[in-house]
Amino acid sequence: MTRDELERALANLPFRLLRRLGRSIAGPPALRMGKRRLMHTIMAGAEANIARVEATIRTHQAEQQALAAVPASGGGASSEHKPGKPADLRALLEGIGVPEPRPFVPDDWQMEAVEALERGDVIVSVPTGSGKTYVAVEATRRAMHEDRTVVYTSPLKALSNTKYTEFCKIFGPEFVGIITGDRRDNPTAPILIMTTEILRNLLYDAAGGEIDVRLDTLGLVIIDESQFLGDSERGVVWEETIIFCPSQARLLLLSASIGNPHELAAWLTSIRPTPCHLVRHQHRSVPLRAGYLHPNGKLTPLFRTVTMPPSPSQAVLHPEAKRLFTMFEEDTLYTRRSG
Amino acid sequence: MPPSIHPVHLVTVLRQKSLTPAIVFLTSRRSCDEALQAFEHAPDSLPPARQESITAVLDELTASYPSLQDHPLRKTVTTCGVAAHHAGHLPSWKIAIEELMRRGCLDAVFATTTLAAGVDFPARTVVLTQSGVRRDQDFTDLTIAEVAQISGRAGRRGKDSVGFAIVTPSPYMDLGVLIRGLTGRPEPVDSQFIIAYPMILNLLKAHPLDHIQSILAKSFAQYQMNAQAAHLEHRIEKLHAKLESYKPRECSDWLTQWSAYDQATRQTAMKLHARRHHPPEVRARLPYLTPGRVVAFPRFRGIVLRRYRSRGQRHEMVTVLRTGGVVAESPVADIMGVIDRTFDFAPAPAFPWAAPEALSWLTQQLEDLPKHLPFLTVPPAPDEGEGELVKSLGDLFPCPTCPCRPTCAKEFKAGNTVKQEWLHHTRTVQSLRTGLWHKFQERAEILQDLGYLDAAFKLTADGEWARLIRIDFSLLITELIRAQAFKDVTPATLAGLMACIAYENDRPDSFPRITGALASLVATARRMTEALAPYDDPPLLRADVGGLAERWVGDTTVTWAQLCRTTSMAEGDIYRLLSRTLEYLSQVHSLQATHPDLATVAAEALSRIRRGVLEELP
Ligand SMILES: Nc1ncnc2c1ncn2[C@@H]1O[C@H](COP(=O)(O)OP(=O)(O)OP(=O)(O)O)[C@@H](O)[C@H]1O
Ligand SMILES: [Mg+2]
Repeated sequence: MTRDELERALANLPFRLLRRLGRSIAGPPALRMGKRRLMHTIMAGAEANIARVEATIRTHQAEQQALAAVPASGGGASSEHKPGKPADLRALLEGIGVPEPRPFVPDDWQMEAVEALERGDVIVSVPTGSGKTYVAVEATRRAMHEDRTVVYTSPLKALSNTKYTEFCKIFGPEFVGIITGDRRDNPTAPILIMTTEILRNLLYDAAGGEIDVRLDTLGLVIIDESQFLGDSERGVVWEETIIFCPSQARLLLLSASIGNPHELAAWLTSIRPTPCHLVRHQHRSVPLRAGYLHPNGKLTPLFRTVTMPPSPSQAVLHPEAKRLFTMFEEDTLYTRRSG
Repeated sequence: MPPSIHPVHLVTVLRQKSLTPAIVFLTSRRSCDEALQAFEHAPDSLPPARQESITAVLDELTASYPSLQDHPLRKTVTTCGVAAHHAGHLPSWKIAIEELMRRGCLDAVFATTTLAAGVDFPARTVVLTQSGVRRDQDFTDLTIAEVAQISGRAGRRGKDSVGFAIVTPSPYMDLGVLIRGLTGRPEPVDSQFIIAYPMILNLLKAHPLDHIQSILAKSFAQYQMNAQAAHLEHRIEKLHAKLESYKPRECSDWLTQWSAYDQATRQTAMKLHARRHHPPEVRARLPYLTPGRVVAFPRFRGIVLRRYRSRGQRHEMVTVLRTGGVVAESPVADIMGVIDRTFDFAPAPAFPWAAPEALSWLTQQLEDLPKHLPFLTVPPAPDEGEGELVKSLGDLFPCPTCPCRPTCAKEFKAGNTVKQEWLHHTRTVQSLRTGLWHKFQERAEILQDLGYLDAAFKLTADGEWARLIRIDFSLLITELIRAQAFKDVTPATLAGLMACIAYENDRPDSFPRITGALASLVATARRMTEALAPYDDPPLLRADVGGLAERWVGDTTVTWAQLCRTTSMAEGDIYRLLSRTLEYLSQVHSLQATHPDLATVAAEALSRIRRGVLEELP
């Protein structure tokens, strides 16, 4: 290695390695040096320590090459050469993009849920975006075949409207109706989309003696976003709906993010004529990664591992994210104080 | 460096790293709007082909939602490929943004966390800029379930091989909350069962009172309480076993006996402590320091006017009259000796503690006293302690002679702790098992008093129709109907009042003036809420929001744009106000059978509300 090559190689070393080298040459005072002085010190002592310096550089370069060998798609990201840890950033962004189109094959858990509905109530608790709608649609199809009414309820009018459009597309508008607090289209259709409050009110009326064919032939009640059961204001309506749900109808509760689906399933089993089957997993169909973006535009991984840590106690921040966030906090603290 | 990343810069970085489309979650509607405004001056615009595709989608949607036609944000969305999405927008606009996002036309959407729940609105990346959320005036941390919902929007099945949750800091962000949210297990769902009046009426319509308890038992609330109770019962069993070793001895009830004793001791402890604080000779003097007593201090003599102890002080004090008529306070410990001389005088309840003439007489007497007077010999007080106390408890405490006494004294503390815990748990279990039912009975009795239920807890004639009102504040509405408050009401005024009752937002906004008719109806409603205050939480009853609904229903030539101009309220909020009003009105409309006139007015109001923007939507 020529002196120039050596100098360039040193400039590319992470600070942590530079400091280690500096310390082995100049002793503890190196710990207080900045990058420029460190390089100066190392260069000055390089002749006497050439083996050690070169070994460090070579190991580092080998590591870099190994990381770079991992194929990185996604254009701009891989050509980035900012100081810090470009390799980690590359790993974070690796594989970004559109997957190969694949024919639709229902997941095992989706089939499991649909089939379990033949035998009893079902709670599906899987991550957001997994495909709970497929279960709802498939179960609706089966109930339709048996000439049974299906009610789909959701907490939000917006969601009811989206589902109405979706179900109209799948089953044909003549088979789908919608009832919300202020809207009523085709209210005698075999598939009814409604807000949970409306269903509860229908159940009140039926219990009060009013005859409602829709409830007599009710075969399936789908309760989407059923974690609303824990909503401080409206949760009670979900409970009432479940308690008053006619015994011949099957219940299908769909939800992401709840901590105690077992408890809910045990409750349903205790009050309903058929046992409740719980379909549950935590596997995200599209893996999720976390990044940290500093206000200056610098992106780094948020965690030390590229995949999401499995629990808060195992979540270790990426050193760069930690450093930048600490810096941010100090900066804003300072401006807050002076401003 | 600005505290948080500039929105234009943020989107540039996201585009560079192929992280688009992205949803950027911001704290408030305002920050979403400001972020979008920042793009109005951004130098970059989308390539023409992409702009055209956005325009095409918007045009297509305009066919079903005419309000999209002249939407002020249309231009920014089309040229920059970014949008805002929050509750201040009209539903049609939100639908348009959702559709654009679904078709991959947009690069970024700035949204509030309200978006997170339920809407089918996925992206490749979500950007988290905050760790808290505004909830009823408060700013609270996002829950794990909320962070999971937000980050769950990232990564579209079939369109992305990876999804990203990107954290970008802003002042006051707590990174710990986000880390917990991203990696933790969501909170359990707990029952929030409440017994509302419509529930009671509807249950009692269908079932006799003695079936109700078994229906309530089916609730998740009861299920969870039973689980808690079972857990406690297990504990109670253990405590019960422990109590075995404290079972009856010489007497059956020694634990109670000793706990009475313990309480008495604790009550006297304070006094005892104070008394012990003085040395025995001072304590011995205390009984002699009555009003009128002459006492000697090291340098002067005086007559005691009163003895007292000020709050929080351990020392006993005396107020003394000194020569020259001076009234002074001093601690009893300063008294050197008690002189064998007292004067009778009329004490007063306040300073100077003696009637004026008594005071001057005493002053005179004090001056006339001979120079040398003998001190009383006061024997030092014996040490007071448990012995005296036990005596003072008398028959209550028979233990001193009992052979068990030493063991009881030793074990009583531990035994009592166990017993108290046992009692506490037993009571908790009882209320867990029967609390719901008691609450139901309590509220049913209120309905009975108000006349909706008869003596047998069956629905009265009023109860029969009142059960059809199944919204918040149902009691207020049914009571207003019973009080004839809606006699001769116009559709506009009825809609106005329903809007006041339905609107739960206390965002400060400005509104058009309201008519006298509505004002007086709101005043009636307000008086009614005061009367109902013990039974039900009152609605906000903001008269000002009612004005909007009144205007919209009262004058059908008013256009949406005109209506919006009369208030500073956001379009989305006006829409929500009117659609909630619709809901409330349709409940009133359901009373056709018993209140045909009112139902007709409600029907008229309903049909007038449904026009323009309110008709275009599902
Ligand atoms: N087995 C499958 N294979 C491939 N893609 C699927 C499969 N099942 C569902 N999807 C797709 O996944 C996407 C998300 O599905 P869906 O909206 O049902 O999710 P979700 O579980 O209801 O989420 P959320 O919690 O947001 O309501 C849809 O685009 C759907 O087409
Ligand atoms: Mg869904």
